[in-house]
Amino acid sequence: MRGLRGRLRILASIAILVAIAVAVFYPQAAWNAIQLPLFAVFSTTRMVFAYLLSLVFAITYGATAATNKRAAVIMLPILDVLQSVPILGFFPAALVFFVVTFQGSPVGIELAVIFLIFTSMAWNMAFGVYESLTTIPVDLEAAAASFGLRGMLRFRLLALPAAIPKLVYNSILSWSNGWFFLVASETFTAFGGTYTRPGLGSFITNAGLAGDATGIALGIGVLAAVVLALDTIVWRPLGVWSERFRMETTGHEVPRVPSPYERFRWLPRFPRLRRTFWASAQPVVTRYRRASVRLDRTYSAHPKVLRDIRFLDLAMFAVILLLVVVAGVFGLARLFLSPLPPAAAELPRAAASSFVRLALAYAIALAWTIPLAAWIGRSPRGSRYLTPVLEVAASLPATALLPIIVGFAILVTASLGPAAEVSAVLIALFSMQWYLLFNLIAGVRAIPDDLNEAARSFGLRGRAYWRRVLLPGMVPSLLTGSITAWGAGWNALIVSEYIPFLNPPPHVSGLGYLLDIATFNKPLPDNEMILLTILTMIVIVLAMNKLLWRPLYKRASVKYRVEV
Amino acid sequence: MSNTGDDDGRKTPVKDFHSMAKVSVGQILGLVEAVDEVGGLADAATISREVEMDVDRLGPILTAAEFLGLVTIEDGDIRITELSRKLLTANVRERKRIVREIIDDMPAFRLVMEMARSSGAPLGRQQVVQALADRVGSHQAEDVFNALVYWGRYAELVRYDSGSEQLTVRIAQT
Amino acid sequence: MEPSLLEVKDVLKSYFENGKEFKVLDLIRFELAERDFVCVVGPSGCGKSTLLRIIVGLEPPTSGQVLFEGSPIRADNPQVAMVFQSFALFPWLTVTQNVELGLEAQGIPPEGRHARARKFIDAVGLTGFENAFPRELSGGMKQRVGLARALAIEPLLLCMDEPFSSLDPLTAQNLRDEILQLWANPDLPPKAVLMVTHSIEEAVYLADRVIVLSSRPGRMVAELEIDLPRPRNRKEPEFYGWVDEIYSLIV
Repeated sequence: MRGLRGRLRILASIAILVAIAVAVFYPQAAWNAIQLPLFAVFSTTRMVFAYLLSLVFAITYGATAATNKRAAVIMLPILDVLQSVPILGFFPAALVFFVVTFQGSPVGIELAVIFLIFTSMAWNMAFGVYESLTTIPVDLEAAAASFGLRGMLRFRLLALPAAIPKLVYNSILSWSNGWFFLVASETFTAFGGTYTRPGLGSFITNAGLAGDATGIALGIGVLAAVVLALDTIVWRPLGVWSERFRMETTGHEVPRVPSPYERFRWLPRFPRLRRTFWASAQPVVTRYRRASVRLDRTYSAHPKVLRDIRFLDLAMFAVILLLVVVAGVFGLARLFLSPLPPAAAELPRAAASSFVRLALAYAIALAWTIPLAAWIGRSPRGSRYLTPVLEVAASLPATALLPIIVGFAILVTASLGPAAEVSAVLIALFSMQWYLLFNLIAGVRAIPDDLNEAARSFGLRGRAYWRRVLLPGMVPSLLTGSITAWGAGWNALIVSEYIPFLNPPPHVSGLGYLLDIATFNKPLPDNEMILLTILTMIVIVLAMNKLLWRPLYKRASVKYRVEV
Repeated sequence: MSNTGDDDGRKTPVKDFHSMAKVSVGQILGLVEAVDEVGGLADAATISREVEMDVDRLGPILTAAEFLGLVTIEDGDIRITELSRKLLTANVRERKRIVREIIDDMPAFRLVMEMARSSGAPLGRQQVVQALADRVGSHQAEDVFNALVYWGRYAELVRYDSGSEQLTVRIAQT
Repeated sequence: MEPSLLEVKDVLKSYFENGKEFKVLDLIRFELAERDFVCVVGPSGCGKSTLLRIIVGLEPPTSGQVLFEGSPIRADNPQVAMVFQSFALFPWLTVTQNVELGLEAQGIPPEGRHARARKFIDAVGLTGFENAFPRELSGGMKQRVGLARALAIEPLLLCMDEPFSSLDPLTAQNLRDEILQLWANPDLPPKAVLMVTHSIEEAVYLADRVIVLSSRPGRMVAELEIDLPRPRNRKEPEFYGWVDEIYSLIV
């Protein structure tokens, strides 16, 4: 033990000496190194704010949609559209709003960044809450009702715990989504100026602009470290913890003492703080409960009053619905009745070329992920050594790799036009491929051992094995992965088709490019074109989801589901 | 006094407690009731038909009931013991006391009591599983631990908190 | 005359689908008095579970009325408690917290809650499992938690919806006997039990009175007083006489 400690001390001394030497010889790099932890804190704080906002939104929105059937009629389609909108499409609107409201102060820009991250996190979480609340077992609902659980008590004891597994699962997805947009939004060019908020994303972008290779590497390294650290000390333990909120599917007679939630135990529980808080909140809660019980009792004796209240409620809902619909119809009508801007003529061609680009990236992603997933999924050794490496690689948002990808493209093609094409496809590829890979690995792992053994005992190998066992087994997870991957691909368009930081900015024709120039290239954003471009994207994404992915998914889940 | 005879004959290694891992209290009591209902003696096939459970499922329950000294099995005939008759006429509380008296001097329990007494503090799950693994092998240790917690809780011999994974020995009440 | 504990008055339930009416229950009428243990028995699809949901106020009848102590029933009536086939335990709450559920909803302060929960946990033989989560329990123990949770609110009427059909036969028989033990103690709640089951044997084994429903729509075929002395032995000819009689009524 002493020997080890002694050696560690020597190592530490060497590290300090090296650090001093670096600081003397490379002052810029040293300055960066000092700044980086601070930037990491800034970026993480933004993520946390956006996440908390998403959490509050998801719970209120999901719970309202789940409990109020009438509201759900409009709330769900809205959520569906919001989820399908390429999220960066929100950015121009948010930017204008926040910058104008705060008169260009950094607070406004900070809020715009947080809002953008929020828009990349909130929707799937809200869906998660809605889904869990609508799938609470009937008997559990009945038990809650017959034992008189109401209001806050019902929420605390039934609704919130029931939502936790899906909420945590979606939080993990949202969080990694958030990094992508954090990097994209910390630096942006608009209204003829460049706005930068200090953070890891802007650090990487700036290093890319300056052609500072060590800076890029440092930035990406720190980002990866932060992402992975949060993953291991927050999200994984949370995932394990959330398991205890899962509904039991089958009752088995043999009792089972659950195994460890060890990883979660480090989290502080603040018993005293909690007690004080509850002690001070208790009187209020009690008073509220008494009041609501009294109210119920009064009304239950007067069914007519109760009916009147319900009628009033219905009337108010109808009025609001009418207002929303009318406003929407008017807005759309005005947009299409006025003469379309000349740039609108480019929309079909732009949509086509964006689509082709994504399809190309998708094909490349499939070409390498399917064989790799088939290998990793079946080889314990491959999964042990390769999975951690892949997880580190996947933890890096594609936006952070932007400087490297663009640099690589320029290096390979040696001219700006083709380089822009190559980098656009590469960025799309990096945004899409991980979703496919990890879903496919899970799919291969889910193929039951019995099936594999049966295949082997019947002598299925080589191509026949692929065709009869592996590929069919992958189909459902391939579809799940594809839906997510394409969603990510559409989002990536906006950062991939136009890179405003280089001069002259490399660009390719496409929807992302149109949106970018409509937003940033003029002293004032071209609202009509922004709206039209986003609308085009929404239509394509929704059409693909409804007409391609969902029917395929439905068929696959019947045909290829493996009964366990 | 057949139960004293059983007690003497139960020089069982810790390992046999493993048979308790697959059954619940209710199943064992249900079995005793079922045998009693047909007169206190029946062959396994009759009981199997009577309670609509095949021998696969009934087997572990029979083994555990025999292990506890509640039935004797000879040539496929199941006979309930004096101890069972006491159990049958007892109420819920008395039943727990009877089960406690049966299991509290079983080697697996004595091991845990011993550990708790010498450490003077709650026992961690891992610690107990490790100690059990030394005796029954690591692949059965988890099962035996689960059975220990389940039966120990029922007999009010142990307290277990699955959150902190801490096992404490309860002070026996009379 | 005092009103009876529960009056089910001409309850009728229909569902409407594509403008067509599907009758589930047709003119169900019976009463429950104190110290009544009544089983409603019928083949699957006779709407007996729906009937129970209507009786405890979880669903409204299409026509007819359910009166509890002379006034219309309400779902959160603290005088009526329910035990479920699937146990309906909250997986994230411990045994004690599950048992305290109804008490918490009534706003009883923690100390009073704990004492009451402890009493009924002990009554059903779960002492030792207070801080266990449902997943750590065997099926029989889970249903005991369901039972303790129902008894803890000290109801006048206990309703049970197929409480033994998720259990294996041995565990079920053991639990039946223990429920009869509890029922034999007049100091413990409830004052009356209403149970729904598809098992004729179970109904004859447990009930003082059996209400027999026909299938699709559920109609009352008979109401029989089972006058066998307790404890009942399922091997005796009198027992089988009752079982056969009810069986012939349903088929």
